Amino acid sequence: MPTTPTLYLPGTSYLHRLHPLSKLVFSLASAVIIFGGPGGWVSAFFPGLFAMLLLWRAGLVGEVTRTILRLLTPFAVVLFLIHGFVNPQNQTILLRLGPVALGQEGLNFASLIVIRLTAALTASLLLMVSTHPSDLIQSLVEIGLPHRLAYLLGSPLLMLPQMVARVQVIQSVQQARGLETQGNFFQRVRALFPLVAPLVFSVLVDVEDRSLALEVRGFNAPNQKTSLTELVDTREQRAARWIMIVLAGFLLIAGIGWRMHGGH
Amino acid sequence: MAVINVQGLTYTYPGSTSPALKDINFQIESGQLVAVIGGNEAGKSTLCLALSGLIPALFHGQMQGMVTVCGMDTQQYSPGQFAGQVGLVLQNPANQLSGMRYTVYEEVAFGLENLGISRVEMPARIENALEQVGLAELCDRSPYALSGGQQQRLALASVLALTPSVLLLDEPTAMLDPQGSQDVFEIIQKLVQAGTTVVIAEHHLEWIARYADRIIALAHGEVILDGSPREVLTSSRIQEAGINWLRYTQAAHLGIARGLWSPNTELPITLEQTLAGFRQMGTTSSTRQET
Amino acid sequence: MSLKEQLKKDFSTITLALMAVGIVLNIALGQVVSLLKLPIFLDSIGTVLVALLAGPWAGGLTGLLTNLIWGMLTDPVAAAFAPVAMVIGIAAGLCAKYGLFKKWWQAIISGVIITIALSIIAIPIRVYMFGGVTGSGADFITAYLMATGRDLFSSVVITVITDNLIDKVVTALLAWGIVKGLPKRFASRFPRANSVTE
Repeated sequence: MPTTPTLYLPGTSYLHRLHPLSKLVFSLASAVIIFGGPGGWVSAFFPGLFAMLLLWRAGLVGEVTRTILRLLTPFAVVLFLIHGFVNPQNQTILLRLGPVALGQEGLNFASLIVIRLTAALTASLLLMVSTHPSDLIQSLVEIGLPHRLAYLLGSPLLMLPQMVARVQVIQSVQQARGLETQGNFFQRVRALFPLVAPLVFSVLVDVEDRSLALEVRGFNAPNQKTSLTELVDTREQRAARWIMIVLAGFLLIAGIGWRMHGGH
Repeated sequence: MAVINVQGLTYTYPGSTSPALKDINFQIESGQLVAVIGGNEAGKSTLCLALSGLIPALFHGQMQGMVTVCGMDTQQYSPGQFAGQVGLVLQNPANQLSGMRYTVYEEVAFGLENLGISRVEMPARIENALEQVGLAELCDRSPYALSGGQQQRLALASVLALTPSVLLLDEPTAMLDPQGSQDVFEIIQKLVQAGTTVVIAEHHLEWIARYADRIIALAHGEVILDGSPREVLTSSRIQEAGINWLRYTQAAHLGIARGLWSPNTELPITLEQTLAGFRQMGTTSSTRQET
Repeated sequence: MSLKEQLKKDFSTITLALMAVGIVLNIALGQVVSLLKLPIFLDSIGTVLVALLAGPWAGGLTGLLTNLIWGMLTDPVAAAFAPVAMVIGIAAGLCAKYGLFKKWWQAIISGVIITIALSIIAIPIRVYMFGGVTGSGADFITAYLMATGRDLFSSVVITVITDNLIDKVVTALLAWGIVKGLPKRFASRFPRANSVTE
């Protein structure tokens, strides 16, 4: 059975070898600066560029660019069309096409949004493509994430392929029984329950077993838990994480001040 | 010494009106292989849960009487405290994966991590457990890429790594193919030889007849028979538990009317016993002819 | 009480396993539904089910984590909407708690309440982070409303509500029907199920 495809790309680059928390803090600090920092697009552009350079040094920039294009292209096209042509704030007309006009203000706004999202995606993909999900979860447990939350973050990734397989079985069974998936709106709404309910029932029945299996393997044992593997951390990385946190906090405060004085 | 002690156990699930187990009493000696048999809803699974310390702690409901396992009262200790003492393997292999680990090796480590076993100690225990179930070569595989039988052996290894003194198995072969079942049975036999106490709810009567030290038969939540396999499996009451006689037993029983089986010989439950019994009658009748 | 102890008390292991399954249902069911070509995504059915069986906090956490995991799996943008998914779970759990999930018509009302609650959180995120656009078919509504002279914010308000209303009402109805149909022995493991079944 295949495992869930995640954004993770196996590899041995320097980014892969960094402690997951260092990459997580980088992503989160970048997001704070991108959406909260002063100076509009400037605050978004530089963290994004920096993330791109880090990815380029690790040889991951091609893959990340493809993912960003896949995720953002349809969105960006619609965004530019809507804000370029129908944003009521448009005053400076760049181009007239019969009844509609392309406005400067809308385009500026759309550009800002696209720059921000590209930057935030780059920074978060830096974490995702170079960190195995279980390492990320383990690093969070090491700084105090409760094991129960770790379970909730980790187990769905491994359960998903089984569920998808079951979904396909139920789909084909119901279609073989002549479930109406083509008819009019109300026929299709009526088809929903027989399609969804058996799957949900079958999955809920397993819930008890799963919880018992966890219990008998000491998931709730009263002692301190240990870990088979150890994540490599360094003093430099620890320092870098604190610097990023302080920097993001500082730029967030600066950004709030900037907005209070009329910045957009 | 009795490692499991059940006294006057009556248990009712929450929201249910009739008890799932009624006034159960027995003791199990250390190192024995005890089979629990009975039809659906006879109470086999409930009994396994009660012996593992999960009932009443997790299910609440109403419990009367007392269950002690390894000297621990199940009403006073939590499931977490039983984890290192009592192992439980369930029917469905896939549901027993932790869902947290990406390789077979790490999956076995999961329980050890939970019990706070030191990192230095882990590899030896994991390798030993995987060796016992014959999965050592697959240690780097994804648990989800294993067959059902292999997954069930992994569930066994995950429990064995915790070195429990009592192992409970609730129909561990019900969802396996014949080969997968055979593998599981062989592992259990080895464990019993090594001194583990095993309680198994199981349908494969031929295997039970051959290897169990004792059988407890349940019907409607009550113990109807408790004794050696030959006593229990040849009893006329066994049908109350929804269980038919083995073919050996049936054949010998039919043989009595035809003079092929001596009414004084206990009915057989294995091929060897059957052959021995028929041969004995054969020799006596042929001697009679000669004289 | 520390966060750890609080979690231990609120979420028994079976609730935990239920939440994990709820997250998986949220992610996996979209595929089934796409077969029917309805304006329904059903990506919060697991959240609502958990909310009905285990209460508003468990439901909220299920929603939140669904979107964070979605972010790990395919699209980090989904993580930005994690607070919205959380509100869906909390709102559904509160509706159940106050007896608004006992009859089918109450489930419909709950669906409407859930839509209103999620809109309050979703609208600012959509407008501020995404310029009011999602890259889905709903953008046509926004475009149309803006073309008729509405500002971005009020256009997004209308889009979000119309886009979610049918989905959340259908989700609430399905979840209600499923919880009603659960075997008694299973439902009894979740004390909150009473608020639907009784």
